[in-house]
Amino acid sequence: MDASNVSVVQRRIYYLFSPFLRLFHWIMVDCICVLFVTGILIGKPLEIMNFEPSSTFLLTNVVRNLHFLAAFVFCASFLLRVYGFIINKGDRLFPRFWEGHFYWETIDVTLHYMLLRKAHKSYLRNPLARMSYAFLYVLVAIEVFTGFAMYLMVNPDSVWAFAFSWVNTALGSEFMTHLVHHYAAWAIILFASGHLYMVTRAEFMEGESEVSSMFSGSKVLVHVPTDVKEII
Amino acid sequence: MKERETLWEACLNKGVSRRSFLKSCVALTSLMGLSTDFVSRVVEAAETKPLPVVLWLSGQECTGCSESFVRTGAPLPSDVLLNSISLEYSHLLSAGSGDDLETHLEKMMKEHRGKYILAVEGAVATGDNGIYCMSGGRPFMKILREAAAGAAAVIAYGSCAAYGGIQAAKPNPTGSAGISRYISARAVVNVPGCPPVPEVMTGVVMHLAMFGVLPPLDSDNRPKQFFGNRIHDTCYRRPFFDAGMFADRYDDAGAKAGWCLYRLGCRGPVTYSSCGNMRWYQGMSYPIQSGAACIGCTSAKFWDEAPFSERLPKYGPMGDIDMIGTGLAAASVAGVAVHGALSLLQKKKRDEAEAAEAHRIMNGQGGNK
Repeated sequence: MDASNVSVVQRRIYYLFSPFLRLFHWIMVDCICVLFVTGILIGKPLEIMNFEPSSTFLLTNVVRNLHFLAAFVFCASFLLRVYGFIINKGDRLFPRFWEGHFYWETIDVTLHYMLLRKAHKSYLRNPLARMSYAFLYVLVAIEVFTGFAMYLMVNPDSVWAFAFSWVNTALGSEFMTHLVHHYAAWAIILFASGHLYMVTRAEFMEGESEVSSMFSGSKVLVHVPTDVKEII
Repeated sequence: MKERETLWEACLNKGVSRRSFLKSCVALTSLMGLSTDFVSRVVEAAETKPLPVVLWLSGQECTGCSESFVRTGAPLPSDVLLNSISLEYSHLLSAGSGDDLETHLEKMMKEHRGKYILAVEGAVATGDNGIYCMSGGRPFMKILREAAAGAAAVIAYGSCAAYGGIQAAKPNPTGSAGISRYISARAVVNVPGCPPVPEVMTGVVMHLAMFGVLPPLDSDNRPKQFFGNRIHDTCYRRPFFDAGMFADRYDDAGAKAGWCLYRLGCRGPVTYSSCGNMRWYQGMSYPIQSGAACIGCTSAKFWDEAPFSERLPKYGPMGDIDMIGTGLAAASVAGVAVHGALSLLQKKKRDEAEAAEAHRIMNGQGGNK
């Protein structure tokens, strides 16, 4: 290979994501997969046909319990997320609506993703991605509240039911709660498919360490990112 | 105004023995969903509390709730109506009619102001000043307000009085609604159902009659002892649900074997009612037991949650959310493929341009040396 074609690129390592956020992320991935599959099976349970109920794993009861187990693990894992948020600046991913540059940077990234701009500026965490994560947390919150509203109303007299039953009232009926839960689940899956593509694209096409940083915690970047001040 | 007699005095006057009186008190206790510890309190109340006056108003309704009430098994409706409460006004059961009855209603409202129990069956039509539901030449909305203002307690019998009912279904042309928001009374008991279970209806009115206080209510003002469980959680077909044994059509082997009706759209999992444990007509049956999926008739807005035979609403040829979601997922995969290919093209161009730039600079530097 001609030496003149080899570009010597200086890359710098930026430590970003605490182990708590990374652990949370992968627990979330697993839980969402389990929750979505079991959730679809709860909505449209499989017919066990001629099988002896006691010798199959597809009992509606088992599927439901798996769903609840994954839901509780997911909720508990938010402890990790919150702890990471407290101890590590890099975990604070909320889009900075209150800062003017946020809007220009959003336009910058959007134009690039619409293929109207050759590249976007270098970011540790680009504003469009941050907004999509905030949107995901809204969806997850909907799932958590509607989920507990359904689950805990098995005993409407309990304190926990009191804490969540207002969701059913706010949505009009418990049936509507089921529907909202189901629809938001699809929205999360559609988010996940887009997310998977965007991070893969950023990792392998733009060299932005979007995938590897969720394992290592660090991003290895060529340019000095514009939002580097946020982690110093 | 003469003093009204108590249940015990009524029994004495009719020559009912003390033993029979006590037996009715025990029956009443269990009917009201109370534990046997309460028998002595029920007896005490029956001996000292004067029988309450009950006024029964009818709004936008089908009289199905009254029909349900008169089919109560224990105690017999005749006992409730003649011995336990003093029903002074009812469209279905009053012997009189016309001006006489309406005058009697006004008289009773005046005489027993602040003491009578108001039972309301049917929704209130609120559109256009309430002209869509008239009774005795006056809007039901006005009659209801006046009657509720002087009531010790108001019982909303049926899903119409509680939530609006069938006539409140979209687009709700008469502005039909549940009564609680249109009356000033604070003590309102919702007894939803289309109609409610007969024994639940008598149980609630007897609780008010005997103790003079509301039964324990949940956040939706429904009596806890009758609406504290989902039908799904008390359903005798629940084991079939847990085991994944479902009927798919009303004429298949599963339906004939009495398997779970969940896949046929049964609303048991979201419906709070005593259907599953008390059942109807002295425990004879209830909708699911007779092979029909529950339509959730005690739930607010159940009338707008069609189709009853599906778990998820369908959107024309697109199908339900699972079909739409699968379609959107497929579309996003296709979109990703296109976007990825275009991005690769863009990147290739960009890299070529950068390489050319680098080459130019290097050659330029070389030239200078």
